[in-house]
Amino acid sequence: MPQGYVVGVGKTRFGPTSKSLPMLAQEALIAALEDAGLTIGDIDAFIVANYLGGPNEGRLHLNSVVAGLLPGVNLPGWRVEAACASGGVAVHQALLSLSRYENVLVLGVERMSGIPGMLLTKNIGMAGDLDLDQGAGLNFPASYALVAQRHMQTYGTTTRDLELISLKNHENARRNPLAHFYHKSVVQADIDAGVTVASPLRLFDCCPVSDGAAAAVISRDSRDGRSIPVLGSGLSTDAISLTQRTVHTSFQAARDAAATAYAQADIVAADVDFAEVHDCFTIAEIVAMEDLGFCEPGAAVSLIRGGVTSRDGSLPVNASGGLKAGGHAIGATGVGQVYEVVRQLRGEAGDRQLARAEIGLTHNVGGVGGTCAIHVMGSAS
Amino acid sequence: MSRRNCPSCGARYGYELERCTFCAAPLVETESTSGTAMAVTEVSVPSVGHEDTPYWCALLQTDDGGSAIVKLGHPVEVGQRVTMGITDDAERITVGVLGTGIMGKGLVELLLGSGNDVVWIARSQSSLDTARIKLSERLARVMDSDELDERLGHLDAGTDMAALGRCDLVIEAIVEELEPKKEWLRAAESSMRPDAVLATNTSGLPLDELAEVLEHPGRFGCLHFFNPATRMRLVEVSVPEQTDAQTLETLTAFSRALGKVPVTVRSRPAFVVNRVLMPLINEAVRSLEEEAATAEQIDEAVRLGLNHPMGPLELADLIGLDVIVDIMDNLVERTADSTYAPRPMLRELVAQGHLGRKTHRGFYDHSAPPGAVT
Repeated sequence: MPQGYVVGVGKTRFGPTSKSLPMLAQEALIAALEDAGLTIGDIDAFIVANYLGGPNEGRLHLNSVVAGLLPGVNLPGWRVEAACASGGVAVHQALLSLSRYENVLVLGVERMSGIPGMLLTKNIGMAGDLDLDQGAGLNFPASYALVAQRHMQTYGTTTRDLELISLKNHENARRNPLAHFYHKSVVQADIDAGVTVASPLRLFDCCPVSDGAAAAVISRDSRDGRSIPVLGSGLSTDAISLTQRTVHTSFQAARDAAATAYAQADIVAADVDFAEVHDCFTIAEIVAMEDLGFCEPGAAVSLIRGGVTSRDGSLPVNASGGLKAGGHAIGATGVGQVYEVVRQLRGEAGDRQLARAEIGLTHNVGGVGGTCAIHVMGSAS
Repeated sequence: MSRRNCPSCGARYGYELERCTFCAAPLVETESTSGTAMAVTEVSVPSVGHEDTPYWCALLQTDDGGSAIVKLGHPVEVGQRVTMGITDDAERITVGVLGTGIMGKGLVELLLGSGNDVVWIARSQSSLDTARIKLSERLARVMDSDELDERLGHLDAGTDMAALGRCDLVIEAIVEELEPKKEWLRAAESSMRPDAVLATNTSGLPLDELAEVLEHPGRFGCLHFFNPATRMRLVEVSVPEQTDAQTLETLTAFSRALGKVPVTVRSRPAFVVNRVLMPLINEAVRSLEEEAATAEQIDEAVRLGLNHPMGPLELADLIGLDVIVDIMDNLVERTADSTYAPRPMLRELVAQGHLGRKTHRGFYDHSAPPGAVT
């Protein structure tokens, strides 16, 4: 029994733009409704996912901002924030709210361009604890750099493995017109020229900061052959700081959310055909694959080296380009992953369509593993 | 870093909580000041609050069985022992400050605010009394009266140099003239402990010449702070040729402990910042003389065109035109290069007693709403 259906999806390009937050939100909203073949009159409630509207732009109360895109409609609506997992958490909430509402619109949106770099780095760092992390200068790349250091010490992972992920995801993004780096070819020489951000992570180990929006209409019932069933929805949390945990090479929240989602979907990890995982940094894709049970801890690198996770491999990971090259419009990212998996499961992914797409998974992480939302979707059958 | 452990069920918390969430038992505070590095990253990207890069973040396994992130100014290896910060007791040293001018007051404010003990020596009791009132007013802007009393309890102000005997470091910040500085430095040294370090806050007088009058030139150097000392992050650190390497190390470490960024420079006329600034101000004055633009226009052009927070003429008024003329004359004398000579308009304003903000008139009229007077 599916948890619900994704009956329509829409997404803007992820990347820098002069469009305002309301403009981005409207673009994704209209696209999702059109895709669903619905009008706003069919929508019973909406959820807005956003992370930095307040700190970056002084924009809060975003459910009411979105209400301003729908003058006179006055729907129930609310905003959810769980750092970079805001979008995935909003999808989870939408599914839960189907007990009350028939059709729920989830709208993830973020604007980050134009914010001075040092301020943006601080703001993104708010995903870490104020006292335990931020005060000690542990910004977001530095958090994942420590995870990478621990993973390298524990399992012998190398910076070459990180580079292979970057190259793969950049190559994939060249087939995705909505990707941040659709127009940019990234080759080994670019990676070699990348400056160190937080050792061992260099420029091309890090996702870009993107503007963008993504929307999905989540419904109680299937509408037609393009409605995609959500087979499992798992959400879990963990203490915000690495200092509050004993394991630093894996995220317990992701393991728990995956277990819930697999159990609901009645599948095992090996049943997943393809996945969109939260590769905010290259090391995060390795941790994701291991947390999702695609392999044993420490074994993800052999899948990467063997091309298993490439788009023509047996388990494509981030065929959209991921966050790394597809872009990371933080509040929109989790919804954008759903957009991508729905497109693939419908066979509507164009140039980047995968050969086998029966069961797809999204893995959306907030902070350095503090929140994780995982969704398993199946083809309409 | 303060953490709480539950003695009953063993839960650990990173926050200053009173009770355990699970069993409601009162929590016990643990304070681990050292641990072993589990992972280290060199951070090269600056952020607000962490502007200076690179710095290092280490994930520590602390001795109480928890873990912590520490920020370090130097790399460490995995497995290396790390002490978290420095405890209050170790950080608190006794610093002497000579002089009650703008820099003297600013330094005392900075040092008390950073938790140091301060011995403040003035030329006369009356100048000390006036400066002390100003100091209290400034401190009271950022702390309540209990805290103010506590901080002032760490201040020993007087006119007797003998009090310098308990200082670890003494900073001279009297008038920017060679002979008076020599006299005060010599007198201070004779009252100081043999292991203490003596520094001058000169903005560029020859250190070798100042060192000549000292018995222990090896423990002498320069800490050139910038006004206002509490807010400006740069310290130009310089030492004369015969100074011990350890003295330079002490001076840079002291600057860093105050949250400043030390830049080590050779002892050259006016060091670096003023050497660059003086021609800039002089050329701005020349533009004004040539009627290229008004003072306000010149300042606005430089602010926007060079991305400076202040224009050169408003900055000159803040520094004091007499001070600027002295520095420029000194540069001409020491470099034998007349291009440093102050422009006629600068000399004229000083001759008329218009020295800038301190006399309410310089390039601008500071007694009324902003407006150029020349």
